[in-house]
Amino acid sequence: MTDTRTAAQTFVPESEVKRFSPTWFGDLAIRYAMVIVMVLIIAFFLYRSARFGTVDNLQTILVAAAPFALIALGQTLVILTGGIDLSVGSVIAAAAVFGSLTAKAFPDQIWLAIVAGVVVGFIAGAINGFVVSVIKVPPFIATLGMLTLASGVAYVAGNGAPITGLPADFSRIANAQFGGLTLPVILMIVGILGLAIVMRRTTWGMRVYAIGGNPVAAGIAGINVGRTIFSVYAISGMLAGISGVMLASRVTLGAPNLGVGYELDAIAAVVIGGASLLGGRGSIWGTALGLLLIQTLNNGLDILTVPAYWQKVIKGVLIVAAVAVDVWATRRRSR
Amino acid sequence: MTDLGHTGNIALDEQPDMLACVDIRKAFGGVPVLKGVGLHLVPGTVTALAGENGAGKSTLMKIASGQMKADAGRVLVRGEELTAGSARDAHQRGIAIVPQELASILDTTVYENIFVGRELRGRFGLVDRRRMAREAREMLAEFGVDIDPKARMGSLPVGLRQIVEIVKATSTGARVLLLDEPTSAIAEREVARLIESMRMLRDRGVAILFTTHKMEEIRAIADRVVVLRDGGLVADEPLSELSDDDIVTAMIGRELEDLFPDLRPASDDIALSVRGLEYTPAPQPVDLQVRRGEIVGLAGLVGAGRTELIEALFGVRSSTAGEITVGGSRVRRGRPADAITAGMALVPEDRKGAGAVLSMDILANATLPRMGQFSVAGWLKGRSRVDAVSEVMSSVRLRSRGLGQLMETLSGGNQQKVVLARWLTGEVKVLLLDEPTRGVDIGARSEIYRIITDLAASGMAVVMASSDMPEILALSHRALVLKDGGVVAELDRASLQQPDVQDRIFRLASGLDISDMPSSTTPSGTAPSAKDDQ
Repeated sequence: MTDTRTAAQTFVPESEVKRFSPTWFGDLAIRYAMVIVMVLIIAFFLYRSARFGTVDNLQTILVAAAPFALIALGQTLVILTGGIDLSVGSVIAAAAVFGSLTAKAFPDQIWLAIVAGVVVGFIAGAINGFVVSVIKVPPFIATLGMLTLASGVAYVAGNGAPITGLPADFSRIANAQFGGLTLPVILMIVGILGLAIVMRRTTWGMRVYAIGGNPVAAGIAGINVGRTIFSVYAISGMLAGISGVMLASRVTLGAPNLGVGYELDAIAAVVIGGASLLGGRGSIWGTALGLLLIQTLNNGLDILTVPAYWQKVIKGVLIVAAVAVDVWATRRRSR
Repeated sequence: MTDLGHTGNIALDEQPDMLACVDIRKAFGGVPVLKGVGLHLVPGTVTALAGENGAGKSTLMKIASGQMKADAGRVLVRGEELTAGSARDAHQRGIAIVPQELASILDTTVYENIFVGRELRGRFGLVDRRRMAREAREMLAEFGVDIDPKARMGSLPVGLRQIVEIVKATSTGARVLLLDEPTSAIAEREVARLIESMRMLRDRGVAILFTTHKMEEIRAIADRVVVLRDGGLVADEPLSELSDDDIVTAMIGRELEDLFPDLRPASDDIALSVRGLEYTPAPQPVDLQVRRGEIVGLAGLVGAGRTELIEALFGVRSSTAGEITVGGSRVRRGRPADAITAGMALVPEDRKGAGAVLSMDILANATLPRMGQFSVAGWLKGRSRVDAVSEVMSSVRLRSRGLGQLMETLSGGNQQKVVLARWLTGEVKVLLLDEPTRGVDIGARSEIYRIITDLAASGMAVVMASSDMPEILALSHRALVLKDGGVVAELDRASLQQPDVQDRIFRLASGLDISDMPSSTTPSGTAPSAKDDQ
């Protein structure tokens, strides 16, 4: 009996790191590395440019961020399950074309254009979800196929040319202002806040994290893994669909090359936000931060008239550096 | 003797060990795993590193082979210090390790596995496959293994893959061979072949260290026994100077009966009834009835189908026919969610791979199997969920910093407590346990045993698969022996109390004849359980 007790006592509970010690600050700095980087970048641009800090410029950043935000949110869900959605850029194009065609056909009922975009996005996402969760094609391949397919459909639907001559109401969707904010910006803010709550407070959010963290354990806990995976791809597709209609409305043009390459920026935002491509780790807040970081950088570098090609170089370095810090921090924690 | 001769003798006496570990210390997240352990390996000897799960055996091996860095202490090879944490340096100095989980490349051939990283080259610097295959065949023949070097590695049974790994490790001229739990995953006849190979290497002057917690293996091959317990060295003696009892007591650190709580009698109500359950790999349909309060142990060798039976019961593994009823009502087969609703709970064997989501916190892990109960219209409850989870977690005396602590930062024993206790927030009628104490430190083990018997006493039916024989013998009201996917024998409590039962189970599990068994006498090598019953 005495032995049992001593054996039990040999377990030393992990000691909390002492507050305000160097390690404590170190841990804090690593955890909030992205916030710190963001603050430094903002401070730098504020120092170098008078225009950067204006309300006008803030609006410019938000407007530019909005179409990326919707697909980055969808992408976050997909990546949390351990998957990836490469098709969102092309889905934007397809939704833009079909939304524009619908607006032209029903100029009096402009809301139908939005519905058309959402439906196109849902169909694309549902096909992705089905192929991944039921046929079990790896997400990379399934959505790579959809990337090409949706792009093809966009060109076929518009006969290879952009849809022009759109009704004036159509351009009001994305450009009308409510309380100083445009609809895409409002959707972005609502989307971030809404999903952040959903991921934290609903059983669905918990399922998404559990499946990404350990699909086998999730199955044993009675979670319908396939259905949940299907749902994240469907949502990702729908958000891309909305994003497509907003983009087409903003430029009043149903171009089949809208959104091309956006999937990579969306993935970059998610990854900079601290999500693991293996699934299970990441957050909506992280993605929002990653998104704003990229957009702030784009905007600030534009203002400082840094050449576009150099901007690409800087962004590339940033993506790898962000993940490197994350990998390093994870290893440090597990030690 | 001249003075010269005398100094010569001293030089001989002080000839450095092939491998020496000096005062090795290591802790994970504040939990000490090795508390100053020393080890000396002499050429041409086999040393058994014995100890229970969690005693620190694997950690010591990883440090000795440079895969892990010690917090303090030194590793010396022929008197020279090894660069800490450098597997490369260890390899160059002739230390080879064959890990428990073999690192074979299954999709390539046997000879490619043997020569990976040091491929033989022929003309123009191109890889000379023919010569590699020929040399691989010769090496394998030296170990008495006749397999086609061009066979795909994945097509071989685990035991043969292991021999190939040993061939690979020693063909580069290793002078020290470390084998981590070499027999844990292989069949009995393969163990004999492994022991042959170890003897051959010993005769060539290789210093061998292998980990085990099985007495038979220590008796069969070891020259020296080193026993670790809770990270400390408790014995280091030549085998001849230790009795079986000495070794067992050293490993467990107390009498066995103290480890296991008393079993309380089961009731007569049937809680789980299984009729004609057909699933792969069961050769014939399985029937099983478990009463409330009864613990049924599933014994058998690795690959006997224990895990598969449990998975089929819970619906993680699909079954093609049969009927499962829990508390009188029928459960839809092949649906874990329905099994949970019916009152079944599963604690799987592979905690990290199947039981817990390590990247989530304790609260989330505890919520997962009972999400319906903890939510309203899809929205998670706050307070009542936290209350329910903290109640069950304190009932199993979980040691954590709080429910928000990530699973991956808990010790094995505490992870296991979470994975078990999380079911207890709702009613459980049938508890399915697969290797409930694998990788669990000894202190937490006795607590988990207590929890299991308490749960059974509260009226649960428990089905427990285990490869730990004392666990089966001491905790089961009834034990089923499985072999090749099917149930081959059933032993009641009285049979489990027989002194020769461990040998009997072993023979049943490996398909040996039990009629020629020496009855009533206790064969050496089965001491741990036999002692319990005398």
